[in-house]
Amino acid sequence: MIANVPGSRAVLAAAAILILLLAGPASAGEDARTLLSRSESLHRTNSQEYSGELTVVNKDGKVRKKSWRSFREGYAGDAKTLVRFTGPPEVKGVGFLSLARPGKSTDQWLYLPSMKRERRIAAQDRDASFVGTDFSYEDMEEFDHKKYEVERNGEQLLDGRPCYVITAIPREGGGKSVYGKKILYLRKDILFLVRVDLYRKGEKEPGKRLLLSDLRQVDGHWVAMRLEMSDLKKGSGTTVLLDKIVFDKPQPGDRFTLRNLNREGGE
Amino acid sequence: MTRKGAFAALLLLLFPSPVLAQGFSGYVEAKGFAFAERESDRDPWVLGWSTLFAKGERKLGDAQFTASVRAEEISSQERGPLVFDPADREARRSPLSVRDLWVRLPLSSTLDLQLGRFELGWGKTDGYSPADAFLPRDLSDPFLDEKLPIWAARLNGQKGPLRVDAVACPVTTPWRLPVLGGRNAPLETGSPFGRIRFEDRENAPPRAGFVALRLLATIGDWDVGGWGRFGVRPAPLLRFRPDLAFPAPSGPTVPVDRRYAREEAAGVEVSRVAGSWVLRGEAAALFSDDPDLGDALIGTISAERGFGDGTLLVTLAGNAKDTPVDPALLFDRALLPALIAAWNRTEAWGDWKVVWTEGLKHGDGLLKAEVGYNATDVWRLTLGGELPFGSEKGPLGALHAARRAHLAVRRSW
Repeated sequence: MIANVPGSRAVLAAAAILILLLAGPASAGEDARTLLSRSESLHRTNSQEYSGELTVVNKDGKVRKKSWRSFREGYAGDAKTLVRFTGPPEVKGVGFLSLARPGKSTDQWLYLPSMKRERRIAAQDRDASFVGTDFSYEDMEEFDHKKYEVERNGEQLLDGRPCYVITAIPREGGGKSVYGKKILYLRKDILFLVRVDLYRKGEKEPGKRLLLSDLRQVDGHWVAMRLEMSDLKKGSGTTVLLDKIVFDKPQPGDRFTLRNLNREGGE
Repeated sequence: MTRKGAFAALLLLLFPSPVLAQGFSGYVEAKGFAFAERESDRDPWVLGWSTLFAKGERKLGDAQFTASVRAEEISSQERGPLVFDPADREARRSPLSVRDLWVRLPLSSTLDLQLGRFELGWGKTDGYSPADAFLPRDLSDPFLDEKLPIWAARLNGQKGPLRVDAVACPVTTPWRLPVLGGRNAPLETGSPFGRIRFEDRENAPPRAGFVALRLLATIGDWDVGGWGRFGVRPAPLLRFRPDLAFPAPSGPTVPVDRRYAREEAAGVEVSRVAGSWVLRGEAAALFSDDPDLGDALIGTISAERGFGDGTLLVTLAGNAKDTPVDPALLFDRALLPALIAAWNRTEAWGDWKVVWTEGLKHGDGLLKAEVGYNATDVWRLTLGGELPFGSEKGPLGALHAARRAHLAVRRSW
């Protein structure tokens, strides 16, 4: 065995360092597209499930709480997502289905138990609040860099950690977006997205900001346990705390279908 | 069980055990109505309506079980006796009713079987939908236009973009009409003897229900579908019995019977996203050999658009055939042709909505507005009003005595 060969530990250590250097943080010459591609392949998972506890705080400090369960299959440009609200009673049973389409706007439907049927969400209507939160329907989509023109704009420290700053502008023909620009902050060491500044069309200042924090490794995958979306104009904020996260669990073949979305009491 | 006993038993459900707490929800609501005028001395100036609703949901393996009950206390003659009325076939609302009692069993990865009592929603267009018109409704409160659940077996499946929904409803759940001749269902008599009172007679609804099949497909931005339905139409036809009329202290009284016609119907529906709008359309052909019902050709189109946290919805509905339905009873075709515009919006403090319905034949209409204030996640205060207006020859204008304001307090759990 190689471990019995004199000096093999040093060789292994050197090899490991070399692999890390090759596969690890980006080099200074890498462009934004390469960084985002590497980030996607580094953090891609086949599926993800979690329970989410939402706290919505409006500008007057009034607090509303909601809870949901989220299921995802695929990642970024091929993501399918189903969200089912579990509380409070006014929104319990409300379902949301999002199916990404390469190069096109994501298909989205909302199921309202009171109406007993699903409603389709218009692509240009995605700036609307998602069930009373500070997330819009578009914010519920997985970020797919292929639908954006991207450009690297230097680096910046966030919470003492260096991050790549990348400007992403929606591409023509990449699907409708309510945003004119997104500024992405990608942590250099693990290429993980930790902040997104969202500029609505025609705005010079960001209207909203998404912060991803409390990063942990679950089943070998990095995940932000805390997501905070702030509406910088309204002065409100929505915090999502993730719980019971499971990665790469096979999803039932019918989970991401309109039939399942319409199943009352279903997941 | 007395009415108070039933309420006490249901109140116990407010304090569920930790086991029940899983998938247990509901609300208790107290609602008061104040009316601007009265149709007759039978109509009260104010009306109270309290509701307790409890729902339990549970998954056992792949099977989904759901049960819900509703208990009500209404301070008017719209309330029926406390009887076990499992299919809502009594003419008046029972203080206790079963809303859900169903199990859903997945037969395969692509097919579900649902058995029991549940509400069904098929229509594509809001406000008025021919696909939903054959479903039973409770018009005890004509402005709420509440759907009644049905006892049925339902097969629901999806294969790729194609969805199928088959329903067999063996028992008719009849429409529930408001008290005839009251403010919620005024009747024009034109009698030379002055004001005539009407008396609902006890009529057994038919046993047979309906079967229906619906196919849907999603192709890109388009949703298309078609459906067919055979069976008994749950909206009754009224049969006035002047041969049984009798004098009463308040004036001559005419009994009214109800009967139910068979009807076959087929419809198509289509919807798509067009820029900022979602466009929907439905068309249905309805056939009946019954001379009082006849055929109808009903079409609806609607356009919906979101504006920030609000939605604007406009629906236009019409019947291409002149169907002989008494317009005074707000039956499903009486209002047509109609334009319905609804605007709702979610605010940081709650939400509001305004609905304007205009009957295009008689120039009558209804304006509804409601503001909901969420005091906390579980306490909600609602203030609203309903204002029928226009010609009294139209089904909505005839409801002028039902103009009202309402205030409700709800606690959910």
